[in-house]
Amino acid sequence: MDKFKTSTAKVDFPEKVRGEAKFTDDISFPDMLFAKTVRSTVARGKIKKITLPKMPEGYHWFCADDIKGENVVNIIFSDWPVFAAGRVKFIGESIGIFVGKDKEILDKLASEIKIDYEEETPVYELTESYIHKAFKKGDYEAAKAKAVKVIKHTYETGYQEQAYLENQGIICYFDENDKLTLTGSMQCPFYIKRAVMRSCGLKDDEVRVIQPAVGGAFGGKEHYPSMIGSQVAVAAIALHKPVKMCFERAEDITFTTKRHPSHSEYEALIDQDNNILGLKIRVGLNGGAYKGCSGVVLSRALIASSNAYVFENLDVVGDVYMTNTTPTAAFRGFGSPQTIFAMEMFIHHVAKELGVDPLELRFKYLAKQGDVTANNGHFHDPIVLKELMEKAMKMSDYKRKLKAYSKPGCNKGIGMSIFLHGCGFTGSGESDIIHGKVKLVKDEHDHVYCYAAPVDFGQGNRTTLKKIVSNTLGLPEDQVSFEAPDTDHTPDSGPTAASRTIIIVGFLFEKCAKHLKEIWKSGERQEYVEPYVGPSYIHWDEDTMQGDAYPGYSWGVNIVEVEFNPVTYQVSVLNTWSTYDVGRVVDERIAVGQADGGLLQGLGYGYLEEMKCVDGRMRNRNLSDYIIPTFEDAPHMETAFIDNPFIYGANGAKGMGELTLVGGAPAVALAIENAIGRKISKIPANPEYLMEVMKHEN
Amino acid sequence: MVEKYIPASKKEALEVLSKHDCYIVAGGSDLMVMKKNTAGLAPKFDKDILYTSHIDELKGIYEDEAGVHVKAGTTLDEVLNSKLAPALLKKAVSQVASANIRHFATLVGNLANASPAGDTIVVDFLLDAKVKLESVGGERIVDVENFVLGVRKIDRHPDELITELIFPKLDYSGDMWWKVGSRKADSISKVMVAGYWGIRGKIVEKFALSFGSVSIKAVRSHDIEKEIIGLSVSELKARKNEFIEKYGKIVTPIDDQRSNAEYRHKVAMNIVSEFIDKVVGGK
Repeated sequence: MDKFKTSTAKVDFPEKVRGEAKFTDDISFPDMLFAKTVRSTVARGKIKKITLPKMPEGYHWFCADDIKGENVVNIIFSDWPVFAAGRVKFIGESIGIFVGKDKEILDKLASEIKIDYEEETPVYELTESYIHKAFKKGDYEAAKAKAVKVIKHTYETGYQEQAYLENQGIICYFDENDKLTLTGSMQCPFYIKRAVMRSCGLKDDEVRVIQPAVGGAFGGKEHYPSMIGSQVAVAAIALHKPVKMCFERAEDITFTTKRHPSHSEYEALIDQDNNILGLKIRVGLNGGAYKGCSGVVLSRALIASSNAYVFENLDVVGDVYMTNTTPTAAFRGFGSPQTIFAMEMFIHHVAKELGVDPLELRFKYLAKQGDVTANNGHFHDPIVLKELMEKAMKMSDYKRKLKAYSKPGCNKGIGMSIFLHGCGFTGSGESDIIHGKVKLVKDEHDHVYCYAAPVDFGQGNRTTLKKIVSNTLGLPEDQVSFEAPDTDHTPDSGPTAASRTIIIVGFLFEKCAKHLKEIWKSGERQEYVEPYVGPSYIHWDEDTMQGDAYPGYSWGVNIVEVEFNPVTYQVSVLNTWSTYDVGRVVDERIAVGQADGGLLQGLGYGYLEEMKCVDGRMRNRNLSDYIIPTFEDAPHMETAFIDNPFIYGANGAKGMGELTLVGGAPAVALAIENAIGRKISKIPANPEYLMEVMKHEN
Repeated sequence: MVEKYIPASKKEALEVLSKHDCYIVAGGSDLMVMKKNTAGLAPKFDKDILYTSHIDELKGIYEDEAGVHVKAGTTLDEVLNSKLAPALLKKAVSQVASANIRHFATLVGNLANASPAGDTIVVDFLLDAKVKLESVGGERIVDVENFVLGVRKIDRHPDELITELIFPKLDYSGDMWWKVGSRKADSISKVMVAGYWGIRGKIVEKFALSFGSVSIKAVRSHDIEKEIIGLSVSELKARKNEFIEKYGKIVTPIDDQRSNAEYRHKVAMNIVSEFIDKVVGGK
């Protein structure tokens, strides 16, 4: 019995099942005030004049003029102002907040404020590039000489909304020592701390951030809470009172960040033996009004653009385009769902055009240990992709079904995606930029407390990290606890992002526990702090995008079976079979939870979830119009893991948070292709799109 | 400030309505969403509220010579579990929202809110349902097709309470219900089609089709039905495209955040085609 894998009860089950967990909107303080955002009603323009309504006593207005530090949200590229300063760039941009005791009066003030704009012509098309990246492998132009054929296709992906259960919300208050403190729905406590320090002009010891229970994030709470945190902090400092701002669902869906829509052009050079000599890839992402973290999203989209395949010649260029729309930012997968969808469809379409078996073509280019990556780094670790594929094909009876479903008119289909995901920050970022640290404290009763920054927003960090520590120390699980992040007591182990929690923070905890074990003295208070030291062989140049893009990779295969209704063009997802290499799983039930949830979110992205932006306005404003799959839509799912221990992972574990999402869309799209016998080049492949596709003969 | 009335009986409810213009809250599953306010604030009701969900005499399903009577306080779940409710109605009800909403939403509420996407209204139209309204001055019965006037508009006077929906006995040999939603549960319909038919010998004796989510209210054409009734099965088969075209003219959907007009129209016509195939197929 593998003690690591055996499922344990999630530590947050009891408090959540009993309804005792305190989420942001459950938290209240004496004298607490509420904040209500006033937003731009035009997509692009100058603010000519703000006319405030008559303000009742105890009600206040805060805007750009009230910012004591820098008026920027501290994101990777800090171009997004906390409050619009003189001009607005999208409908819904925060101009200011009303603060006061009664929400009804705040709503009234927000409806009465008058803002005069000098409107400018907004941009909605992908025409104004504001981030540009490129890299090459081999020599694509020279390879052209050997090509007898060039195949080109274009792919499009839409917005995706994180649709976490709990809307965004932050409270800023003063703790027992009168220190400025923020608590709220968040992914990265230290990001909020640094953002508030910057916008409010405060020092490191003047801001504290504490994480309460958080109801889902999926990337949507990586940066946005830094903005609302800064906004409520401005008011709380000025009034010296607690200020809370929690979003309504419509406000959250319409104005907070979501996944980048994309447009990708793929070109393949083919020689006389039907070999792919090289790929030329052009990727465009819609970044919305502000850059924020879009540069990194683009970077990761491009790195993933040839997916789990190795080609000799690559010419990869990408741009992020400014549009006057809600900014796009982090979302589980971070750029790779867009390009992995495109690559998986493309290799299939190339095979079809060449008249060769898509499976054979894919096998021919599968990455193997030692291969040179797209960025001229190496796949250093063993790769078990072939085993993953064979196992998934066996579980699903893939080959037989594929053949049976290829007969016209049977309306059933099966599709397979294979994919990889880089874990941790890009390149050597973990060692060079993040410098993550964790701390273990043992008290006099030999109880061990784990301190680190990962936020458990439902995915199970509190359970898995604690388990790594208790197993390493050989202690019963109830002798170890995981403390919710509090920036005054928790070392900065980095953000809860980039599939890094287990591969990086888990690994740190394992090392830290080993060190604590070495110095263990029963009955004495002891503590140990462990800094991250990554693989020394990882080198990366972000400017040229050359080198090893990630410290390690996880791999996966999804096979999806669908039924197509030719009367209504609706798709039912019947079954899925998945295999993953995540090194070794830390806890089987939590791993399956990530696998099922990630795949369902990826399937939703592929065939269901559509957000329309018309003239700068999001038309889908609630969860009855923005359609995510329900339990009834969820297929029967089977999942298996293949062990492939990673030497820089806790007990061999790698990341899996994002991996499980990226294969869903191409697998379901390929299954639909198989069912309808026509080419899919856009997601979501929803009934309206499939109606269009069915108009054309294949 | 709005008043809230919690009458002890139907009689008391009618008395309240004789003096006050009220929102009538039965299940509240539609009204509470329509009157939604910022979290933590009371819903935005702009006139008085009359609660009826606790009044026992407004609940239940019974049958008499006029047909099956579904009283106004009957929940969708109770309809679903009733032996008396028409089978086609139950099919439609089983796909409304989710199980938890069906436990407090009422069948009459679905009609009274008169949403163009109200699922059960399409079946009410198809089955010639009649609406019974009562007031202190008496009662009246209205055909459901005349009762629904438009988007969220119904023929109810402020002093009236809908007390029953009556489904006359209909005899037919086959029926069909299509709800085309955006997903399998908790879904607002993009297109709905309900239909029934009856064949005697080789003659189409009965034929009815109604549509939802394709116009400001549910749609049914008695004119087209009259043309079809009396045709032989082979005549209907031969003239299928002609009738699809005729139905195509009364189905006039729009683009919105849930779908587009072309899709709704095309799917409605595909379903009419399927339906006619089924009728002439004799099943």
